[in-house]
Amino acid sequence: MLNKSQKPTEIPIYKKIIVGAGTQIANYIIILFISISIGALVIFLSGMDPLTAYLALIKGAFGNWIKTADTLDRSTVMILAGIAGTLAFRTNVINLGLEGQLYIGAFAAALVGFSVTGLSKAVHIPLCLLAGMLGGAMWTLPVIYMKLRWNITELVTTLMMNYIAIRFTEYLIAFPFKDPTARLAGSPVLEASARLPKLIQGSTLNIGFIIAIATAIFSFWFLFKSKTGYEMRMVGLNKDFAAASGIPVNRSYTLAMMMSGAIVGLGGAIMITGFFGRFLGSFSSGYGWDGMMIALLAQNHPLGVIPASLFYGALANGALAMQSATGVPQTVVVMVKGTVMFFVTVMVFVRFIRRRLTKWVT
Amino acid sequence: MGNLDFGSIFTLTLFAATFRMATPILFATMGGIFSSQSGIFNVGLESLLIIGAFFAVVGSVKTGDPMGGLLFAVVACLIATLIFALLHLELKANAIIVGLAMNIFAAGMTNYLLVEMLDATGVYQSDLIIGFKEVQIPFIKDIPFLGDLVSGHFPLVYVAFLSVWAVYLILYKTPFGFHLRAVGEKPQAAESIGINPKKMKYFGLLVSGLMSAFGGTFLSLSYLNLFAEGMTAGRGWLALAAINFGGSKPVRSLIACLIFGFADALAVRLQQFGLPSQIVLMLPYVSTLIVLLFSAMSDERKKKMAASKHKRLNTAKA
Repeated sequence: MLNKSQKPTEIPIYKKIIVGAGTQIANYIIILFISISIGALVIFLSGMDPLTAYLALIKGAFGNWIKTADTLDRSTVMILAGIAGTLAFRTNVINLGLEGQLYIGAFAAALVGFSVTGLSKAVHIPLCLLAGMLGGAMWTLPVIYMKLRWNITELVTTLMMNYIAIRFTEYLIAFPFKDPTARLAGSPVLEASARLPKLIQGSTLNIGFIIAIATAIFSFWFLFKSKTGYEMRMVGLNKDFAAASGIPVNRSYTLAMMMSGAIVGLGGAIMITGFFGRFLGSFSSGYGWDGMMIALLAQNHPLGVIPASLFYGALANGALAMQSATGVPQTVVVMVKGTVMFFVTVMVFVRFIRRRLTKWVT
Repeated sequence: MGNLDFGSIFTLTLFAATFRMATPILFATMGGIFSSQSGIFNVGLESLLIIGAFFAVVGSVKTGDPMGGLLFAVVACLIATLIFALLHLELKANAIIVGLAMNIFAAGMTNYLLVEMLDATGVYQSDLIIGFKEVQIPFIKDIPFLGDLVSGHFPLVYVAFLSVWAVYLILYKTPFGFHLRAVGEKPQAAESIGINPKKMKYFGLLVSGLMSAFGGTFLSLSYLNLFAEGMTAGRGWLALAAINFGGSKPVRSLIACLIFGFADALAVRLQQFGLPSQIVLMLPYVSTLIVLLFSAMSDERKKKMAASKHKRLNTAKA
C-alpha cells in the first residue's frame, strides 16, 4: 500500500509497475533463499552434506533433456490442480475437494478410455478428457446443493467428498471394473487410441503439458478479462457488496466450484491417459493438496501457477533422485515447502520491500 | 455377503466400540469448540491430531511410559498451536489458510520425522511402544448390561466424555467462559469492558491444541500401539463437522461425535461380515454429510415455525 498522504498521481504509472513487480520478485527470491537455507540446515543437522544433496536434486530435476521433460510432465497435473484452486479461491469458494474431484475425473476418463473402442485418436482423446472434466464437475454438485440450498459450509462437505471419492473409485476397480490380469488393483488397460501422444522420445512428457499451459492462459483471460470472471472476483472480494450491485452470487459460486472440479478432473484425466494408461487405486500422491498449496504460493494468479508448479514438480522429481544418490530422505523437501508456505502466508517481507522500493524509485 | 443378520451386527460390542471410536473425534471437537467460541474456526485440527499421535509414540518409546507419550504429544501440539496463533493473531495471516497449510505440512513433517527419529517409513510398529491399559471400573463392571458397555475402556475414553462436562461448565458457568464467548461474539464490546480479546483467542487456540494432543495420543497408544501415515483418516475434519453441527455447543456436538463414532464402529463391524470394505469405509463420511444435511433441514423448520408463531402473535395483537 502506498502512504496515504501521498496522492496517487504523484507517481507515474511505469514506476508503480516497477515497484509492484519488483516487490513480488524480491519477495519470492528472499523466501526461496530462506527456505533453501533451512532445508540445507536440516540436511546438515542429520549429518549429510547439503551441497551434494542439492546438486543431486537439481541434477535429478533438470540434469538432461529427458529429466527436464519428466519434471515438466510431473508439474502438468500440478498446474491444473493449482488453477482449479485459484479459480475457487478467487471467488472465495474454499474447495478442499480437489483430491476427490481428481480421482473421479481420472476414473471417468479411464472408463471412456477402456470401454469405448474403435475410435480414432482425434475423437477418443478429447472424449476421455471431456469425461474427466465432466466427472470432476459433477462431483461438486452435492456440495453446491448443500451450500446454496441449506447453507452448509463447503469446508467440511468438500473434504468428506474426498474420502468418499477415493473409497468409491477403489470399490469400482475392486469389483465392477476389476482387471483380473492386473497385479495391483486397477482398471483394465486403456485403448491405444485413448493414450496422449508423447512430445519427446524417452520421456513421459505428453501433450497434456500443452493443454495445461493453455488452460492457465485461458483462466488468466477468463478471470481478468471476461465479465463472468470479473463477477467471480467481485464475489470473492465482498459477497454482500457484489450481491447489492446485482452480481449473481449463487451463479458465481456454482460456476467457480464446477470449473474448479472440471479443471482438476482434467488433470486426473491427463494423468491416466498420458502417464498411467489405466486407473490405479490411490494413484495420486496428494496432487489435489499440492494444487491448493500452489494456488496459495502463486497468490491465486493463474499464470503464477505455472512457475509455482514447476518448482513443486522439480522438488518432487529432484528429491527422488537426491534420495537414491545421496541417501538424504526425500521428505526433506517438506521442510523447504513448509518454509515457503510459511513466508508466503504471512507476507512479512512484502510491506518492507515495497516501502524501500517506493522510496528508491521515486 | 450372504447371511446378514441384524441381531449379530448390533451387539453390545458395537455400542462399546462406538464410545471408543468417538473418543478421538470428541477430543478434537471439544478443543475446537474452545477456539471457535473465541472466534477462530480451527481448520488445523487434523494436523494437531496427527502431530499428537506421532509424538505420543515418540514419547512412549523414549520414556517407556504412555504418560510420557501423552506429555510429548501435549508439548508438541501446544507448540504447533502457538505457531498457528502467532501467524494468525500477530502476523494477521488468514486462519483458514494457515490451518490448511498446517494440515498439509504436518502430514509431510511427521513422515519426515518418522524417518529421522524412529527410522521407519510409512508405519512404525514396535514392542517399544507402551500403550495405555484398559480400566475396569469396580462394581459397575459386574452389572451385566452396563458393565460391558461402560467398563473396560481405555482411560482416555473416560477423560474424553468427562471433558464434555468440563467444557460445558467452563464455557457456560464461569466468568472466564463468559468472557471467552463474548470475545467470539462481539470482540469490540468485550474489549470495551476490559477483556483482552487476543489473550482469549490465544487461550482458545491453545486449548484446542491441548485437547487434540489427547485425541492423537488415544489414536496411537490405545488398542493399536503404532503410528501410521494418514492414521487420523480425516477425524479432525469430522470434528469440524461436529462443531458445525452442534453450533459450537458442547452437548449438541457430542451427539454428532457419537453418530460419527457409531458409523466408524459399524464400518469396522460390517467389514467382518464380508461387505466390500471400500463401500463400508465410506460410511463415516457419508453419515457426516447426511447428519449435516438433516441438522440444516431441522434448523430451517424450527426457524419457520418460530416465524409463523411470531406472525400469528402479531396478527392477534392487531
